[in-house]
Amino acid sequence: MLKEKGQLKFEDKWPHMRPIVLKLLKQEPVSPAEWHELFYDVHLVCLWDEKGPAKLRDHLHEDIVQFIKQAQNRVLAQRQEEALLKAYIAEWRKFFTQCNYLPTPFRQLEKSLQGKPASASSSTQGNNNKKGPIEESIVRNLMLDSWNDSIFSDIKHRLQDSAMKLVHAERNGEAFDSQLVIGVRESYVNLCSNTEDRLQIYRENFEAAYIQSTELFYRMKAPEQLATNGVQAYMRYADAKLREEEARVQRYLEAGSNGVIQCCVKVLVGNPLPVLLAECAPLIRAGETERLQLMFRLLERVPEGVQPMLRELENHITQAGLADMEAAADIITQDSEKYVERLLELFRKFSKLVHEAFSDDPRFLTARDKAFKAVVNDTTVFKLELGTGRNIGGRIVAPESKCPELLANYCDMLLRRTPLSKRLTSEEIESRLKDVLLVLKYVSNKDVFMRYHKAHLTRRLILDASADSEKEEDMVEWLREVGMPADYVNKLARMFQDIKVSEDLNAQFRTSTERHDAINIKILNAGAWARGSERVTVSLPVELEDYIPEVEEFYKRKHNGRKLQWYHHMSNGTITFATNGGKFDLDVTTFQMAVLFAWNQRPHDKITYENLRLATELPDGELRKTLWSLVAFPKLKRQLLQFTPQATAPKDFDEHTTFWVNQDFALIKNAKPQKRGKVNLIGRLQLSTERSQIEDNQSIVQLRILRTQEAIIKILKMRKRISNAALQSELVDILKNMFLPSKKMIKEQLEWLIEHKYMKRDDDDINTFIYMA
Amino acid sequence: MADENDNDRIDDNQKPEKMFTLKKWNAVAMWSWDVECDTCAICRVQVMDACLRCQAESKKDSYGKQDCVVVWGECNHSFHYCCMSLWVKQNNRCPLCQQEWSIQRMGK
Repeated sequence: MLKEKGQLKFEDKWPHMRPIVLKLLKQEPVSPAEWHELFYDVHLVCLWDEKGPAKLRDHLHEDIVQFIKQAQNRVLAQRQEEALLKAYIAEWRKFFTQCNYLPTPFRQLEKSLQGKPASASSSTQGNNNKKGPIEESIVRNLMLDSWNDSIFSDIKHRLQDSAMKLVHAERNGEAFDSQLVIGVRESYVNLCSNTEDRLQIYRENFEAAYIQSTELFYRMKAPEQLATNGVQAYMRYADAKLREEEARVQRYLEAGSNGVIQCCVKVLVGNPLPVLLAECAPLIRAGETERLQLMFRLLERVPEGVQPMLRELENHITQAGLADMEAAADIITQDSEKYVERLLELFRKFSKLVHEAFSDDPRFLTARDKAFKAVVNDTTVFKLELGTGRNIGGRIVAPESKCPELLANYCDMLLRRTPLSKRLTSEEIESRLKDVLLVLKYVSNKDVFMRYHKAHLTRRLILDASADSEKEEDMVEWLREVGMPADYVNKLARMFQDIKVSEDLNAQFRTSTERHDAINIKILNAGAWARGSERVTVSLPVELEDYIPEVEEFYKRKHNGRKLQWYHHMSNGTITFATNGGKFDLDVTTFQMAVLFAWNQRPHDKITYENLRLATELPDGELRKTLWSLVAFPKLKRQLLQFTPQATAPKDFDEHTTFWVNQDFALIKNAKPQKRGKVNLIGRLQLSTERSQIEDNQSIVQLRILRTQEAIIKILKMRKRISNAALQSELVDILKNMFLPSKKMIKEQLEWLIEHKYMKRDDDDINTFIYMA
Repeated sequence: MADENDNDRIDDNQKPEKMFTLKKWNAVAMWSWDVECDTCAICRVQVMDACLRCQAESKKDSYGKQDCVVVWGECNHSFHYCCMSLWVKQNNRCPLCQQEWSIQRMGK
């Protein structure tokens, strides 16, 4: 063979090679000898003939094209769609299989054509391209490109049309061999010689055609469905079709292409969006969870689809909630239990809706929460006016919802010994307290709740009226858990500690002397209980007055450097009242005691208001209130005191109004007067005087101002400079567990701080603040 | 007590001298440190509350327990004992009047 070197020509070899090549193309049997010979010949041609590789390629190309032309004719001979596809797929499969064999013998040719040394290139190719040489093969690409150029370009429209007709038929419910469509798609995918983007041909042709035909199909069908069957049925139709198309896409298209579904969504959901959305509000109103679920599923697929639904939900909850509150305004403004239960009922109803219709999707939960905040903090049904009477510093304070006050009252009913708390089991009370915390989450002015809660707790502890002291302390921890500010909660916890300290002290006091069975003392830490609240003067009955020095003496022995202040408006006791008809135990406040004991020296006298004032030394307002509680106690059929002339309110008493003890006083049970009995006349224990109550309301506002200033400074200290918008949002974040600062108050406090040189506005940008140390 | 016993006897004679007799009195008083200024000049916290340091250190067991007591100097100025004991390590004078610090009494 070596002898022939230099003279070996392509033309000599080709006639020998060609039949083998053709056999290969036609998938006819090739013997191993022939197969080997082909390798050898290619090798020789490439090695010895300078122009050999180029010629070899051209001839090869020509033969491939030739072969493809024949195949094309065979395919196009088919008239019928299915047969055409079948023929094409068969031809293609055969050809594609050969694409993997034919290039093998021509490996040498490729190396030559690339102009690289055989050995080096093979090794670098092997290293560089892990996909293996076959896929990169020039011959293979030659084959595929030829197929693409000749047969494919000519008949692709017929192919696509046929395939789409089949899909269309399927959409209309006819069965056919899905392999036909799949086969076409595979040919599109495999046909691509572009290694960067293998799906190029497929996407530009097959997928595009698929999308187009899909869109056309539903563009016709969707409005028709909507018009004939109505929105509700249409939603079911659209939902079913979307699922169907998704499944179909998986069958017929390459993975990772979502163009079709996008197009379906656009036609099925996007186009009729306004019509669908119009249905949303009625469905929410009717609580049609299943349909809403369906609607949510559909609208979630389009941008701007869910947003309007959220708005509808929020509007509906807000409106329904407020309407409900207003309808029941008469009951709920009076009865905190009914109010809280009403709120909870609303809450549960809408939470259920969100759960069932929207699977607790976070966006809908947020909308629900927003609506709830609106209902809870609404002021149309009732308002709490902070700082009424006198405006604080000439400012009028916006009214707030009474909700926090009512919540606190409800807590009190659960924690105090009341008919309600006696009726409920411990577990029920616990779950209701948890409910309160749930509602509390939506209350923007938590500081008001905490203030009322603390007042109620004070009363319960001082009157020993807690239903369950363990639950009391649990509640404090729960308040801590739901994020109430630590200083509020710590104060409550401190009160419990303090009451225990006081109990120990009382025990010591009672053992230290034998004379004091009738007295219990509570000596409390003023810091924890009653900072700044003013005391009321009263001239105590001798029976009480006698105890005072002894207690003070005892206390001085136990402690150093402390001063005691008596809070007689908080103290209380039990007295026995002996009448003509019987003997009764009365639970009374110390003020009531002071008034009643005035008659001890002259049981049958009529005493004027003025003389009672002199005897008790109570301030006017307190005396009126105390007397009123004795002449018109709501629970009593026969009152303790009687008076003249007529009065309908405490303010109607004048200094000549006379009072006397009702000697026929008796407790009435089953319409019969009783001889013995016990009655509690304390009512709601007064914690502060009238004047300090107004101050109390103002102190809330005052405290808010301080908290706002404090928070602004805290933020500025950290940020040094900050824009107005960022400051506002950080501020709300810091304060939200106490109250929601109003825009107006923030602005006022900013001005104040600027005026007092804590901070300044940026010279270049008045909306930026700078901290001044 | 003697009065009450009399009362009961007379009561039995159906001629009560006193209509109202005391059975039980729950008296309430508040204590506070007997100080001239209710804020500690060192930590700026009210002397009725635990000092800043105590509040920060033992959140759990600080409330209620008044371990953080008040101390009075001879000059009659008062501070949290905790605050003052740290202060005197640096400067044995009253922070308010600069007199030499010596303890007059301790709160208990």
